[in-house]
Amino acid sequence: MNCEETRRHWDLYHDSEGDGELYLQVNQHLAECPACAKWFYEQSRLEDVLVEKLRGGPKTSPTPELWNSVLAKAGVVEAPRSLARSCLFFLGGGLAVAASVLIAVFVLSRGSDLHAGPSLSQLTAQHHQSFAQGQQAADFASRSDLDVEAYLQRRVAFPVRCPPRQDTGFFVQGAGVCRLERSEAAYLVGEVDGASVSIFLLPSDSLRRFPHQYQALQREYTHRCREGKYEMIMAQIDGSVVLVVGQVDPGRLQRVLRAYGSYPHAVST
Amino acid sequence: MTGDSAKAERFLRRLEPLQGALEAYCRKVLNDPAGVEDVLQNTVLDAFRDFHLYAEGTNFRAWIFRYLNLKVFEFNRRRARVRTESLPEEIPAPTSPEMLAADRVFEAILESPDTVLEQCDEAISQALRSLSEQEQAVLLLRAIGEFKYREIADVLGVPAGTVMSCLSRVRVRLREQLTEHCRRQGLLPGDA
Repeated sequence: MNCEETRRHWDLYHDSEGDGELYLQVNQHLAECPACAKWFYEQSRLEDVLVEKLRGGPKTSPTPELWNSVLAKAGVVEAPRSLARSCLFFLGGGLAVAASVLIAVFVLSRGSDLHAGPSLSQLTAQHHQSFAQGQQAADFASRSDLDVEAYLQRRVAFPVRCPPRQDTGFFVQGAGVCRLERSEAAYLVGEVDGASVSIFLLPSDSLRRFPHQYQALQREYTHRCREGKYEMIMAQIDGSVVLVVGQVDPGRLQRVLRAYGSYPHAVST
Repeated sequence: MTGDSAKAERFLRRLEPLQGALEAYCRKVLNDPAGVEDVLQNTVLDAFRDFHLYAEGTNFRAWIFRYLNLKVFEFNRRRARVRTESLPEEIPAPTSPEMLAADRVFEAILESPDTVLEQCDEAISQALRSLSEQEQAVLLLRAIGEFKYREIADVLGVPAGTVMSCLSRVRVRLREQLTEHCRRQGLLPGDA
């Protein structure tokens, strides 16, 4: 593939679309051609800034008042109470709140932490480390994307998709099921550029057990963070939280996250 | 728990993580900001009514954005301020960001996109408004919704190849308009 052909495929490459062979050919050309590698980098950087502008900023939080009104008028939730009922409600509620505050002060004064549980990033980093260092083996070892997908679909109640396509650089090695703070979770283990990368999947409703990540994913489409030496990136995809962790370039992790479940058969209509 | 409240709970569980994206998309793509609440409300009303048709485990994000898009198009057409032509199905004459490569101003944008684009909010909005409604939808579904081409195709009811060529064309046009804006305004990094 020459420079002109390679550059014509920038959109597909940037968006993690196109077939695996194309991706490998582009990658091969970029490895041999510093001019095209620079050109791809600059185009992607400009595109990322433009996208941020189009979104109106890095974070997109819903407006609570707007959504309260939308949901009430659409009949999904009850309309707000009348003023008189609200006064009675708040009077009773006020006593309950006062009692709660007293209890909270008591608990805090005893040195307890209301969010004492470990965060999702800590838990997944610990699991990932034990896979990466060989202290723990995956429940099911396989290099087949389809076998891994079928295995997980039998093992967990929430929807799971197949591993990210291999042309994004993720080579699956196995999968299994674990518990993260009392929540059932699935994991995929594999490699990106020879480094261990794990992907954790949880049903979205269990995200509330992890207030920090819950809030972050209310504000952002994809949340990026770091836990010790591990980079992490997470997003909610079709009712699941998908978290990718590894000691690799965050851009590579993002590509893996974007490609999660991107085999044509896994994209439902 | 009654059937209705269980349905509402399941619906809300799906909807909640998408509220920010739905709202942001709506705000960008509507011509009249005063219509945001109405459009979202009509979207949620119809989607909740039809929620029994949604198959659990399938792509809820694409499913609800399809409803939103119908309402957005309906709203904008009522105000008749948009170009409503559909996307050309044939792949247009090849355009690529490479065609801009020799432009000194575009080179400067590429060198420091953060600095230059900081001063281009209005130009970006104008460029967006100059697109047809389908082109805007493709661009914003990708940028705000982070949809894959196939999902955008499902939302808009067009072939995936059409989405691919449209996105490529629109990206080039956006770059051309930004370059032209920066040239006119003398917005080069040294001048910032």
